[in-house]
Amino acid sequence: MRSRNTTAVSAIAIAATASLALSACGGAGGPQAAAAGGLSDDKVVIGLLNDQSGVYKDLSGPNSKVAIQMAIDDYKAKYADKAVAKDIEIVTADHQNKADIANSKAQEMYDRQKADIILDVPNSAAALAVATQAKNKKKLYINIGAGTTALTGASCNKYTFHWAYNTAVLARGTAGTITQEGGKSWNIVYPDYAFGQDMNKSFSAEVTKNGGTVGQSIASPFPSDNFATFITKAGEGNPKVIGSMHAGGDLINFVKQFNQSSLKGKVQLAVGLMFITDIHSLGVDQFAGTQFTDAWYWNFDAENKKWADRFTEKTNTRPSFAHAANYSAAMNYLEAVQEAGTDNADTIVGKLEGKKINDVFLRNGEIRKADHAVTHDVYLAKVKSSAPEEWDYEDIEKTIPAAEAYGEANPACTMG
Amino acid sequence: MSEFIQYTLQGLAAGGFYALSALGLAVIFGVLGVVNFSHGACYMLGAVIAAVLLAELSLGFWVALVVVPVIMFGFGVLMERLLVQWLLALDPLYNFLLTFGLTLILVEAVKLRYGVSGLPYEIPAGLGGQVTVGSVNLSVYAIFACVFSVVLCLAVGLLMTRTRIGMIVRAATEDPGRTRALGINVGRWVTPVFGFGIALAGLAGVLAAPTRAITAEMGSNFIIILFAVVVIGGLGSILGAVVAGFLVGLVEAYGVAYAPAYAQIVIFVLMAAVILVRPSGLFGREEVA
Amino acid sequence: MSERMSERMSERMGERTTERSSTTTTTADANRGPDDGVPALLSVTDLSAWYGEARVLTDVSVTVAPGEVATLVGRNGAGKTTLLRSVMGLHKQVKGTVSLDGSDLGRRSPDARARAGIGWVPDDRGIYASLSVEENLMLPPVVHDSAWSMEKVYDHFPVLAQRRDFPGTKLSGGEQQMLAMARVLRMGSRLLLLDEPSEGLAPVIVQRIGEIIREIKAQGVGVLLVEQNVAFARSVADRHYLLAQGKVVEHLSNDALAARESELLTHLGM
Repeated sequence: MRSRNTTAVSAIAIAATASLALSACGGAGGPQAAAAGGLSDDKVVIGLLNDQSGVYKDLSGPNSKVAIQMAIDDYKAKYADKAVAKDIEIVTADHQNKADIANSKAQEMYDRQKADIILDVPNSAAALAVATQAKNKKKLYINIGAGTTALTGASCNKYTFHWAYNTAVLARGTAGTITQEGGKSWNIVYPDYAFGQDMNKSFSAEVTKNGGTVGQSIASPFPSDNFATFITKAGEGNPKVIGSMHAGGDLINFVKQFNQSSLKGKVQLAVGLMFITDIHSLGVDQFAGTQFTDAWYWNFDAENKKWADRFTEKTNTRPSFAHAANYSAAMNYLEAVQEAGTDNADTIVGKLEGKKINDVFLRNGEIRKADHAVTHDVYLAKVKSSAPEEWDYEDIEKTIPAAEAYGEANPACTMG
Repeated sequence: MSEFIQYTLQGLAAGGFYALSALGLAVIFGVLGVVNFSHGACYMLGAVIAAVLLAELSLGFWVALVVVPVIMFGFGVLMERLLVQWLLALDPLYNFLLTFGLTLILVEAVKLRYGVSGLPYEIPAGLGGQVTVGSVNLSVYAIFACVFSVVLCLAVGLLMTRTRIGMIVRAATEDPGRTRALGINVGRWVTPVFGFGIALAGLAGVLAAPTRAITAEMGSNFIIILFAVVVIGGLGSILGAVVAGFLVGLVEAYGVAYAPAYAQIVIFVLMAAVILVRPSGLFGREEVA
Repeated sequence: MSERMSERMSERMGERTTERSSTTTTTADANRGPDDGVPALLSVTDLSAWYGEARVLTDVSVTVAPGEVATLVGRNGAGKTTLLRSVMGLHKQVKGTVSLDGSDLGRRSPDARARAGIGWVPDDRGIYASLSVEENLMLPPVVHDSAWSMEKVYDHFPVLAQRRDFPGTKLSGGEQQMLAMARVLRMGSRLLLLDEPSEGLAPVIVQRIGEIIREIKAQGVGVLLVEQNVAFARSVADRHYLLAQGKVVEHLSNDALAARESELLTHLGM
């Protein structure tokens, strides 16, 4: 019996180690081919690197490939015989939300698969790893899914662009607006990892800037499924607003348990980052009344709706803002290739910098030269109390103009 | 003071749920010597089946509470007959790795079929809202889940202490070889006991459905806490699992209250402390080889 | 890691497959039981046993007749307990035959052997901590008409009746020994395998155990007794098998044992 017990305990230890070791290594260097004019390898290769199996799979994942393919189709239809890029290929990889995998996959995409650009890369740690690769390989990288402001701050570089949103935008949109509208006292609960800490800082700063106060910022372990006590703690001091900075499953756990607490109805719940897929999964009534900043909403206007209908035809689900942003990024990249007549990264960067864009995703958009943030109007959304149709979950309460949402260029960015 | 009472009650509520969830793990280890890593995945399956029953057959929470354990019992029996039994004679590590692999398969299968965002589930009618006494309040559902868990733990306890089946299971838990030598076909009890343990995991999943995110990954983190519970309580000890469940619930709640960032670490500090003082857990038998 | 695992795997497989079939080898005279016409209750023939590569029993043959007490005496590590475990079917790396009432037990499982009438009282007494005294008694199934009723058990062991609700291991060593013996008597076992019942017990209790053994012997139950206490062995047994290094080296009557007691004590270090 003793041996049975000790073997069992050591088995647990071994498995824990084994699951750590499961994060496989891959990637190999390869010869680099970069032509000064024309297309390298006579084709354009777009790399989609994101979470294809984990928590971010539904909000971007494989369906972003569909969105990128839509951009390719639109580009080919628009330019037909005059198209510079006749052969356009998409390569995809799953980074499993691990920075080391993202790093090796990005290397593999740039070197071996001859990717001219990498798109998406949710998860801040993974996003920053790929930014370093882009800088070293001198290849383009447009991030969409990650929130970290470091991409356009301390870690910014010539080849990296940040297309959809960042934590500072979410903070200005959500914390700024709610505080201005009278929600002056806040308590914040955030998951204890890079993204959560970043969100907590951004939100706290924004609340304070708008004349509000943050009573407590409470770190919760990540991941976590029991938030009951955190919610009780967050209710101490009778705040007007409780901000949840969680994402994915943690967010759903938090909201479910908040709804069962005595705070429901008495305290306003603000959510740091929310995707339409979260509302879809939990059910609209659970989130009813929750305010958050959305970078794009499929049913905002006719143009969005039209694009969303095309997307839905192919995927059977409504697009998240990440899907639309992937489309927009791919489309604008191809337009730049068309304009430049080459896929040479340095030339493309020149074409993109400072460009003003209005398309299905970007309204009043500008690719800011100083820090490569792609600034655009964002929206303060409120979850409807019931859905008139499936996926129709949001009321857009207010458009936050690009300048207000994005503020000044990040001074930490030196384009090193 | 009312704050302290509030956290204590919340800790107890969570603890009851932990106790029920860990119970199956303890029962299976006790009788089979199998550390069932897939317990978290079975918990997840329980919740997913409950959500699917609701979405596709409009069968609500109360039906799920009965149907899901029956389905999971069948699943457990299949799992034991098809896979687990062949490795029982080998080092426990083999079954640990088998159930680890099974976990990966189950999680990926659910992701493939139901995506990663999770499935909706609502609080059953009549169990919404809160109970407030003075400045202390608890959600009705949390109270229900805790009472239900405790009643079930008691029922299992009675089954174990007051019936012949329980007597045999206790004896087999303590020493399968010796029990065989006393004329009891321990093997005959192995399959139903395994199925029973898996059914308990599924039941915990149903209980979690209204209050937690129903995702393929919901068991991945939970199983780690359950391991902490059974290690603290003593591997294979049913009473230990129950006591440690409450202990972990309380420690976690106090951790959140007084050191939020360390709430989860506190559980493992407790586990380490228990192992240092009593290597076989609070209620584990100190074995002499 | 995989290499180590496969090594361990093959070792395990080996353990399961080395239940070798019986072979006939020469049987020393000393190994044969008394041929007095009474059919043997237990008959062990040319039994060998291994732990992995190490051979711990070599061609051991032992018989026990109904109503007879035979002892296995020898040093620690001579293989006495392994022999009992092999008879019980708990030790599986064996070859040779074990028969009960003339029928070969083959590879029957320990529980089938118990139900066939073999009752094992292990050297650690094997009392369940998580079962009460009464549950310890009630646990095994009744396998024979001659099984003692609970009344009879409590009548013979009044201390067990007084403590029936105590956890089994809260009893004293002597009481646990009584409980372990009572448990197999309540099953109705016809052959008892007693592993050092007198070990570590006070003389008055050893005496009481001796009385019980003589009583069950009178009822026709056969006993195979492992014993280091030669005086005690002599007081209850009919015959003695001397084991050394896994072999039966001598087969002695009670008188012969008495005559050579001092020699054996020094020689065998008992």
